[in-house]
Amino acid sequence: MLSLSSLMGTAALMAESDDAQAAIEWAEHFQKNYRLMTDEEKAEARARLEKRYSEEYGKQVTVDTTPAQPGVLMGYALNIRKCIGCRRCVHACVAENNQSRGKNRPGEKIEWIQVLRMERGKFDAEKMNHGYPEGLGIQVGGNAYTPVGQVLEGQYHYTPDLVPEKDATYMPIACMQCEKPPCVKVCPVRTTYREPDGVVVIDYNWCIGCRMCMGACPYWARRLNVTNPVLPKEEMNPVTHYLGNRPRMRGVVEKCHWCLQRTRHGRYPACVEVCPVGARKFGNLLDPNSEVSLILARKNVFRLKADLNTFPKFFYFYD
Amino acid sequence: MKKIALYTTIFALFGGALYVAVAAGKTGAATQPAEAQAATTEAAPAQPAAAAETAAAPADAAKEPVVCFESRKGASEVTQREIRPGWPNVKCSPTTGAALWYGDPFDGTVPMGKMPGLENIPEGHALVKPRSEKLAILPMCATACHNGVGPKFTPPTLPKDKKPTPIPTMEGLLPELKEFQHGRGRLWCLDCHHTTQRNKLVDNFGDPIDFDQSQLLCGKCHGDKLRDWRDGIHGKRIGEWASDGKKRWFLCTECHNPHNVQQGERNRGFAQLQPEPPPPLPKGMPDMKHELVHPVAH
Repeated sequence: MLSLSSLMGTAALMAESDDAQAAIEWAEHFQKNYRLMTDEEKAEARARLEKRYSEEYGKQVTVDTTPAQPGVLMGYALNIRKCIGCRRCVHACVAENNQSRGKNRPGEKIEWIQVLRMERGKFDAEKMNHGYPEGLGIQVGGNAYTPVGQVLEGQYHYTPDLVPEKDATYMPIACMQCEKPPCVKVCPVRTTYREPDGVVVIDYNWCIGCRMCMGACPYWARRLNVTNPVLPKEEMNPVTHYLGNRPRMRGVVEKCHWCLQRTRHGRYPACVEVCPVGARKFGNLLDPNSEVSLILARKNVFRLKADLNTFPKFFYFYD
Repeated sequence: MKKIALYTTIFALFGGALYVAVAAGKTGAATQPAEAQAATTEAAPAQPAAAAETAAAPADAAKEPVVCFESRKGASEVTQREIRPGWPNVKCSPTTGAALWYGDPFDGTVPMGKMPGLENIPEGHALVKPRSEKLAILPMCATACHNGVGPKFTPPTLPKDKKPTPIPTMEGLLPELKEFQHGRGRLWCLDCHHTTQRNKLVDNFGDPIDFDQSQLLCGKCHGDKLRDWRDGIHGKRIGEWASDGKKRWFLCTECHNPHNVQQGERNRGFAQLQPEPPPPLPKGMPDMKHELVHPVAH
């Protein structure tokens, strides 16, 4: 069925409306999937979006379309022993990436990074034979009554006066930029895909909001704009990327993209720059001298849910 | 023919009107956030202290500069200012006063001095934030007391041995020395500070080290950490991610308190901080107690 909006666009054109918005909607509606667009079409889309966002937010907004650079495979490493759970990365991400930040309705506030607080267990001598079933000990990790090892799942809403707390470990999670991303496999409109530099991105214009990717992602990394995004003009970051932090619409899924608008131009992601303990490291996996390559060479590294064969490029390490 | 033209005009008019109506609905949706924002600012005075302060902040911003701390409290700080219109050099957290976003990572930096092992990094690509303005009192130490003149200081009374002795004057000036905690009692002032040049640190041979190169001093003992820091694995850097990119390197003392390295609950070398606010609770959850329940039923 020819949708209503296209009909309206046609009508507006026929009426020879001098409203610029009409032509924008027309062009936007018939825009191709970003991967199929020619350079001219990308430039056109870019100019159109820049004009629209600049008018909407009252400042000069740039929409970058820089492609992946050859010889770059982005990688991320996080020192899990250093993380103090201060959530500065979460809020830096919001300041950089134009997420919705409303307070009044559920779903209006979107944060891409979640910091998990986990209890530290103890392998005490007297607890060694506790567990379930009785007598088998720590192999089964204890039970609800006699915890052995780490028992709780993560807590997201911890609010102590000071962090880090004693007997707590913090584990920030966000998009792991998998090499074999389950979200890409399930996307029915192929709007989310892996870029040649390794980042999994979303063409927001083609997202239909079906949330298949949210169900497929084993890392709870994706967020849906349930409401119209609340983005105050003064807080909007005017430096954007088409596949990255440009303002989203209602009904599209978004997630971490390692600050493409920064990293494509050589700059660290925002979360790396604000981490007060320097737990977050970012670099080129193909460069043997990069921070991430050196961490992989020297430190003890693990990946979250490695058994799922998603091959994340987000590595946790400890000294 | 005329009739068709008329129908077309009618259709176009109708379509146009419908379009305008839909567009109006869209702008209505777009203005909604602004209204919501206005509602929250109106609600602000009802809440005490903190909310009122943030509401008053924009008015005071002209005279009172916003200063936020970067890594730990009491170390390096940034003063917020606009680099270009609508683009601040740093954004600060309204709740904790921490630096949350860098508009210019190289703001107020100088090239780092020479250090072995940095041959691959191009000149001027390793930057540090100088501590000179924060150390304004240190040159005074050398003129006021440790000047080599005066009854107590002719000749300068340097201690005969390295046994730590409490110095009441110094403890009065620097209260944190009372809980001095570094090396578990095996270190004292002159292991790190130069004996005669008070605005310098000291290396193993008694030669002075600049305060902007504190890694050379700390690396005397913490060599493994120095190696990791030099390679970018330990410590914080901001700027460009390429291995030979232009970066601001955070120095040891910007994150660790050298006079009390073990402060904090976990004794991990980093003092405790106030965390940023948590995400909103799930719909219908009054508090966070559901997170404390073991999710698997036994």
